[in-house]
Amino acid sequence: MKLLKKQGDNICFAVIVIILALMPVFLKAGLLSGSSTVLFLGKCISFAIVAIGLDLIWGYTGILSLGHGLYFALGGYAMAMYLKLQETGGKITDFMHVGGLEELPLIWKPFNSFPLTLILIVLVPALAAYIIGYFIFKNRVKGVYFSIISQALTWAAYSIFIALSPYTNGNVGITEIKTIFGSIKGEAHQAEMFKLFYLALIILVLIYALAKFLVSRKFGKLLIAIRDGENRTYFSGYKVSAYKTFIYVLSAVIAGIAGAVFVNFNGSITPSQMTISYSITMVIWVAVGGRGTIIGAVIGAFLINLCEYNLSSGSMVEIWQYIIGAVFCVVIIFFKGGIVGIVKEQLPALIRKIKGKPAETAAKEVS
Amino acid sequence: MAQFVNTLFNGLSLSSIILLTSLGLAITFGLMRVINMAHGEFVMIGAYTTYVVQEIFKSVFPESMRDIYYFAAIPAAFAVTFLLGSLLERFVIQRLYGREIDSLLATWGISLILQQAARSIFGTQGVNVTAPSFLNGGATVGGCTFSYNRLFIIFMVALCLLLVWFIMYKSNFGKQMRAVMQNRTMAQCMGINSRRVDNITFAIGSGLAGIAGCSVALLGSIDSTVGQSYIVNSFMAVVLGGVGKLSGTVIGSAIIGSASIFTENYTSSTIAKAIVLLIVIVFLQKRPQGLFVIKSRNLDE
Amino acid sequence: MKKSKFRRALAVLSAAALTATFTAGCGKEDDSADTVKVGLLHSLTGSMAISEKSVRDAEVLAIEEINAAGGVNGKQIVYVEEDGASEPSTFATKAEKLVDSEGVATIFGCWTSSSRKAVKPIVEEYDALLWYPVQYEGMESSSNIVYTGAAPNQQIVPAIDYLIEQGYTKFFLLGSDYVFPRTANMIINAQVANAGLEVVGEEYADMDQTDFAAIIAKIEAAQPDVIINTLNGTGNVSFFKQMSEKNYTSKEYMTMSFSIAEEEVATIGSDILQGHMVSWNYYQTTDTAKNSEFVSAYKEKYGEDRVTSDPAEAAYDAVYLWKAACEKAGSFEVDDVIAAIEAGDISYDAPEGMVTIKGDNHHLVKPVRIGQVGADGLINEIFSTDPVDPDPYLSTYDWAVKAGIQPLE
Repeated sequence: MKLLKKQGDNICFAVIVIILALMPVFLKAGLLSGSSTVLFLGKCISFAIVAIGLDLIWGYTGILSLGHGLYFALGGYAMAMYLKLQETGGKITDFMHVGGLEELPLIWKPFNSFPLTLILIVLVPALAAYIIGYFIFKNRVKGVYFSIISQALTWAAYSIFIALSPYTNGNVGITEIKTIFGSIKGEAHQAEMFKLFYLALIILVLIYALAKFLVSRKFGKLLIAIRDGENRTYFSGYKVSAYKTFIYVLSAVIAGIAGAVFVNFNGSITPSQMTISYSITMVIWVAVGGRGTIIGAVIGAFLINLCEYNLSSGSMVEIWQYIIGAVFCVVIIFFKGGIVGIVKEQLPALIRKIKGKPAETAAKEVS
Repeated sequence: MAQFVNTLFNGLSLSSIILLTSLGLAITFGLMRVINMAHGEFVMIGAYTTYVVQEIFKSVFPESMRDIYYFAAIPAAFAVTFLLGSLLERFVIQRLYGREIDSLLATWGISLILQQAARSIFGTQGVNVTAPSFLNGGATVGGCTFSYNRLFIIFMVALCLLLVWFIMYKSNFGKQMRAVMQNRTMAQCMGINSRRVDNITFAIGSGLAGIAGCSVALLGSIDSTVGQSYIVNSFMAVVLGGVGKLSGTVIGSAIIGSASIFTENYTSSTIAKAIVLLIVIVFLQKRPQGLFVIKSRNLDE
Repeated sequence: MKKSKFRRALAVLSAAALTATFTAGCGKEDDSADTVKVGLLHSLTGSMAISEKSVRDAEVLAIEEINAAGGVNGKQIVYVEEDGASEPSTFATKAEKLVDSEGVATIFGCWTSSSRKAVKPIVEEYDALLWYPVQYEGMESSSNIVYTGAAPNQQIVPAIDYLIEQGYTKFFLLGSDYVFPRTANMIINAQVANAGLEVVGEEYADMDQTDFAAIIAKIEAAQPDVIINTLNGTGNVSFFKQMSEKNYTSKEYMTMSFSIAEEEVATIGSDILQGHMVSWNYYQTTDTAKNSEFVSAYKEKYGEDRVTSDPAEAAYDAVYLWKAACEKAGSFEVDDVIAAIEAGDISYDAPEGMVTIKGDNHHLVKPVRIGQVGADGLINEIFSTDPVDPDPYLSTYDWAVKAGIQPLE
């Protein structure tokens, strides 16, 4: 029992992972309507990864980034360009030709090599986040100012990606790409699809473990200290800006990795992944799942996307927009802890109320 | 010369539009510390109200009197958004004071709902507002055409500014408002009904967005996403100017507006947008609190 | 003690959420013998909903008409609708859901080129069929897509030819910053240069640009005698309203637009647009018997104030063409339907006149019509051609081949 109490989050995560791991088995057994469900869950895995990164900076450190779509897309573009160059055999792509380029531009050259691509998927978001984070945190821009700036920054990056269409293919983005395991669609390629799916799952588990490891150490306590009293932490002799920059860069890297995973399942990457609304949607996942608990981010990402996948069709479309808007509003206002918070706090309180236990005994029990 | 005057006028005009959309934000964000992401949707509601008033006038009044619809539309747009703002404050914003980031997220949810509501009510296609005939066209002076629309909007901004200034600094309510924003507990001790002040302040901010909607309806399309195209620039104008200062917002809008027009003369508009945003962001590194800073000894402010 | 229970409850809850997917995903095998399922995939939310709703409406109208007339191959059509949310990767996800999970016989969908490009690999890899109802930039011909809108040589090229014939010499190219205007302008540049005329300016507006003052100033400086306009929906409204406030009408600056149909005229205002030219294959005023039926059916179903437009008509045709192809193939199997299409004589007496699917490139043979906006908000035809064969790669045009606008492969 004690184990369950202490490891509740991890057990819940394990359950999610096991269910996901069984999906291919379900598919083989004919329990799923098609492999598209598995591919969609693959995308959800990438969303869960980026949500973990967001939770680290928002839930734990109190930095709300409205621009994580940028890092997600940077990782995505890096992976997509590698896959695209695999298709063309390292030659210039169609959109570059249309844009008037004669040969592969220098910035895309490294993406011919797989190891280099993997490094860049981590390095490019890291570098971008470091430059942005270093200045912003050094100058002690915080709170909503940071959010608004991150939003403007994303918008600027989005515009640049659109304007440089000979290099990025404008708002069409990089399309018609396969995966690192080749084609995964259709019956014949099911083995490759499973390989990719399990790889994504392993990445999710690793990122989850990393996040859990970080927040359970002193480092995690420090992040919370920064969130709850930045100046006090500062005066306690900690270099707050360095910690903030580090965690911001880390979450950007996680977002980049998520983007790279996403591209494999999605088959394309477009600038709409780096829009403000897409970035805010990511924050919604964390908020609904429960900020400040890594598991909450995972739950939120899966739950919202699954609902959207199943509900935003046909006559439900209109209602869905109202539902998502209202749910988000209500969660933010009344249930700050999201789903995890409801289960951990509001629900026990409710049950105590129903059982009519006196408040003191209940309080004792909790402690 | 004519070209220079033209650029100047265009810059002034764009600045005035940005100012009009950010004036409400300067109040809700600057004074109340509420990040209202649904502000753009209030602009949209103002624009749709203008459309509705126009349609009503079309069906009720004879042809010759149609132009006066616009004079009815401005107060109507203000009234509708004022009321909605008041409701929003009462049921949502009130619970979010002191939680800036949460207010940003909750109002994002509201903006999703409002956008869908616009689609459900008016259909997905845009609607058309015809400018009243006295605002059609423009006056040509020495090779430059000054459109009546834009002159009118500049005039309207000036009027709004004057009104806001008067309310804030000259009226009794403004005194109460500033008192509540600066020191809530002290103001309450002095017998000020801070709840009421909050409510009206937020409603005024929203009402200004409604008026902005009324004027952008003259210049562009009215559809469910119209608010989204203004929101980022408006926030940047407020932040650049310095939160809490009306004059800061004026300068902030002027800088963003004229810089956009000026840069666009030399490059494509997409690049121009990115350049202006980046310049503002870099500038904010130098002065994170914006151009005009309210001096405070409070470390956390 | 208590707490652990709820942590367990938490685990159960999330597990339930996950299982919700496949319970929702599976068990929908209600393919009864007398219906056939098709998918509609358009943006019902987001910025593209402005345009895509009318296309979706036309498709639903056609489906209902066909059902009322006895269906296809004796089966009634059932449609599943998905929202693409104006977001290409959502389009990809939903297309995959439609073809794989829902098992639809075909998809009618997309509007923007970016959404089509995102869906294209899906329909190709799953060997499904997409009917794309919008005029577009060409340079594409997928065996799993049927393009029922105009190829560039059925809209852009003849429009420029017409302008050149009318004596226009200085062209200004204005478009939104995305793939259709960029490709269209590349074609126009080559075509204008070939005629020995001049493009005096080329500008791209941001997708959600609301202030066109700077761009209008550039137009004034360039002094063109015609503006070739490829702006998207909302950009058009702002641009024309702001042109008119500078006292510019079609007399000062004539425009030729490729994205303004009857619906856009209604949102911009016919007083502003009067006299400006557009190029399409169909107008609400097109004088065919079939069209008056179509217009009155459309208005009856969706309201007197609704107007029909080229994309809506092309979407309507798409459903009927699919019906014709299925009937010819005697099956709903994608391979059979494609084979029937590629045999080359699937045609339909559409509101715009007789259209035929060209078997080798999956585009339609259709007439071109240049129109002029009238005071009543409708578009009147001022010039038309006989049906033109589609040539998405412009490979039969020497100047295009010389300019090298064809893609690499």
